[in-house]
Amino acid sequence: MGTFNKVVGVDGVRRDTVDKLTGKERFSGDYKIPGALALAIARSSEAHALIKNIDLTKAKALPGVVRVFTAEDVPGENSYGIIPITKDQPMLAAGKVRFKGEAVALVAAESLEVAREAAALIEVEYEPLKASFTPEEALADGAEAIHDKGNLCFEHDSLMGDPDKAFAEAAVIVEDTYTTSAIEHSYMEPESGFAVMEDGVVVVTVSTQNPHYDHADLCRLLGLEEDKVRVKQATTGGGFGGKLDLSVHSYVALATLLTGRPSRLAYTREESFAASAKRHSFTIKYRTAADAEGNLLAVDAELVADTGAYASYGVAVAMRAAVHAAGPYMVPNSRVYSRAVYTNHVFSGAMRGFGVPQVALAHESQMEKIAAKLGMDPIELRLKNALKPGDKTITGQVLGDSVGIRECLEKIKAVRDEWGAAKGDDDGVRGIGVGAMLYGIGNTGVSNPSTAQIRVNKEGGVTLYTGCADIGQGSDHVLLGICAETLGLAREDIALVRADTMLTTNAGATSASRQTYISGNAVKAAAEMFIAKAVEAAAKVSGSAASELCFTGTAVKGPDGELSLLEIAESLRAEGRELEGEGYFDPETVPLDHHTGQGKPYSTYGFAAQLTLVHVDKATAEVRVEKLFAVHDIGKAIYPQGVIGQISGGSAMGVGLALMEEFDHTSDKNFDTYLIPTVLDVPDVEASFIEHAEPTGPYGAKGVGEPALIPTAPAIVNAIADAVGVRITSLPANLERVHSALQLMGGK
Amino acid sequence: MNTIEDKEGVKRYMLSLTVNGDPHTVVVKANTTLSQVLRNELALTGTKQGCELGDCGSCTVLMDGKPVNSCMVLALEAEGHEVTTIEGVAEGAKLSDLQESFVNHGAVQCGYCSPGMVLSAKALLKRNPHPTELEVREAISGNLCRCTGYVHIVEAILAVSEGRTTPPEETNAGGEA
Repeated sequence: MGTFNKVVGVDGVRRDTVDKLTGKERFSGDYKIPGALALAIARSSEAHALIKNIDLTKAKALPGVVRVFTAEDVPGENSYGIIPITKDQPMLAAGKVRFKGEAVALVAAESLEVAREAAALIEVEYEPLKASFTPEEALADGAEAIHDKGNLCFEHDSLMGDPDKAFAEAAVIVEDTYTTSAIEHSYMEPESGFAVMEDGVVVVTVSTQNPHYDHADLCRLLGLEEDKVRVKQATTGGGFGGKLDLSVHSYVALATLLTGRPSRLAYTREESFAASAKRHSFTIKYRTAADAEGNLLAVDAELVADTGAYASYGVAVAMRAAVHAAGPYMVPNSRVYSRAVYTNHVFSGAMRGFGVPQVALAHESQMEKIAAKLGMDPIELRLKNALKPGDKTITGQVLGDSVGIRECLEKIKAVRDEWGAAKGDDDGVRGIGVGAMLYGIGNTGVSNPSTAQIRVNKEGGVTLYTGCADIGQGSDHVLLGICAETLGLAREDIALVRADTMLTTNAGATSASRQTYISGNAVKAAAEMFIAKAVEAAAKVSGSAASELCFTGTAVKGPDGELSLLEIAESLRAEGRELEGEGYFDPETVPLDHHTGQGKPYSTYGFAAQLTLVHVDKATAEVRVEKLFAVHDIGKAIYPQGVIGQISGGSAMGVGLALMEEFDHTSDKNFDTYLIPTVLDVPDVEASFIEHAEPTGPYGAKGVGEPALIPTAPAIVNAIADAVGVRITSLPANLERVHSALQLMGGK
Repeated sequence: MNTIEDKEGVKRYMLSLTVNGDPHTVVVKANTTLSQVLRNELALTGTKQGCELGDCGSCTVLMDGKPVNSCMVLALEAEGHEVTTIEGVAEGAKLSDLQESFVNHGAVQCGYCSPGMVLSAKALLKRNPHPTELEVREAISGNLCRCTGYVHIVEAILAVSEGRTTPPEETNAGGEA
């Protein structure tokens, strides 16, 4: 790697931490908004029904109610959604409800108590329709259509080589069906935001992962021009994909636009559970073929995802799951058929991993089964098939240089042998398991650029402008690090303006593990242009050759002295120019072919392997993860402590996915029944990383946010199998499932 | 306790309590919670609300030194008690050792659970200055965090119990260039 100016790879201190630890940091719910209207939403009691009538009389008559809104009040197009081809979700139900908890009417009142009371007084007359709660029901003949186009939201085919021939010639074929559950993101801060009118502009301050998308869909819903809506990201208390959809945004914007008064709305936890996206539950039918030496020959997989009542990110999840179906292995022949199906559940959307944690359960369980059949060491089997630079993925993409999966597996293997020796096999209730993965950085097969600017500020320092929403993971610190490294400054020298649609340009969503790689590259390009421009202008002023000049971060130095950034900016201003660096980066992708799924979905991939040691209590069927060792190939750690933080947090979420979390759409309303891991449920994760520099990455960096989670659940399931000999194919591996699997085995 | 009735006949109470060393008197209803008083009446918004059911711990404050979920404490129960919120942990501009250690260990991500975590940890170290790792885990087991996996938080608390606020040098995992 090139030489570093001591910022990249050094932790430093995030500029938000002190305020977050002293109570000074303001989340959107912490602002005082004088005169703000309180909002409350009346939600559907039916899962699938036509709305025959909405009676607002009693609600409107309640003292303190200012206005009540229904679909008829939405001034623009009452449909939104992140994916341009599936904008199918109304902000207020129009004529029909498609899930229980869907917003039907909105109350604006002088107090929250009154708003909630009025919302409860709204009387909706429904004509119930037959509801579907599984993809199978929704696709069956005679199922009621949830949307006009039917219940198949999206399908994706992928074909490479000749899988039928490969299966016919295989020495070993293993086959199984795997299922995963719906999961609630459970960010600690429920959805929250407020709106005010400023000079004819609706200004929405909100907890979000994607302010520029929010802005576009708010303009669409409100029927307003771009310059009449401004979205500012408030400090955001976690997202994990669940704050990529619009939530409170459209309601505060509508109420403020139509009353002229400020308004605010924070979901209760119950409301957040009822009305926000969930992780897609999947059913995965999977066949794998291998030769007698353990070389993988073919994969044939059919994936069905419950996308709920609205598409949200369903298309992206179904497609990404298909692309990743074979895992981090070289598989010459493959067929994958993936579908996202509408049901009358609350909509499913993006959640950390976009369908990849689900398929990872399948491909990693299959690897264990093949190893068992062939009597091979499961890590050796993985090493034998692990992707290398120059190998082709199942979309026909030839991989570049940064492919660290073999090294991850080698490290895992050494630790496995250590643990294995220590564990012995005396008690028979401890087991060790491995999980491995690859993950494409950025959106799948589509342009998804980021932009950034660097300008001189009034104090003569520099300000970085980025549209990138930091949702708590620390992207501000990463982007400042890249900016500082390139300019030869410290992070502390740089001012930051971020995630405000009036002041910053689009950086795309904080999702798909894309901001370090994509926005990082945009920031680096902006910094490089800034330096070039400053040197060029200084050369002109001083009459020196550009080659004699040196950019110092705060000035340009030459043989005859130095010019400050302010002086340079002034000289440029005289020519009507600005001292500004502008950066743009769009990863190189090739769209996937509609029939064969072939293409180049991502320009680079992250890789990882994790190892768990579990204890299974045979009497109670309780599974405890005692140790977790993770190795991630992240390209380059810009902020190592943050990388470790991502892996630790992702692994904990993986423990939840593996052992605890299964969102019950009818009974889970809050954390009293929906249990996420506490500190007593997770091990002391030993997280580590390797740095296979990505040539196209900023200082070699890729991404880690989602990879952090993906190998965990397979590693746990495989450890359970190692401990007690039962293979759990439906997640979560909770007490009931492990107990009944143990019973079944005992009965044999 | 002084009470008044509003025009709808709802009784209001004059509540006196001490928050971060300062005496306060506020008017509350019988069903007003301590977290509502702190956030809405006293503008101490460092106390977060995450579930309002006592399950997430985001609203943890100390009452007479003991951690409580302030969403589950009626404001009237705090009458005459001493409440410590996150705003009262630092001494002026100087962070407490716990806060310093959270900073240095990267124990904060989104920050929504952080105030509650710090207060639960503060209460633990007060009653048990040298806890084991399990005791640390038990002490913060009522505080949910979805970001960190708790690893850096546990390390930050243990460090303080060992008289440090920074990670030991050799723990930096991974990262050979």
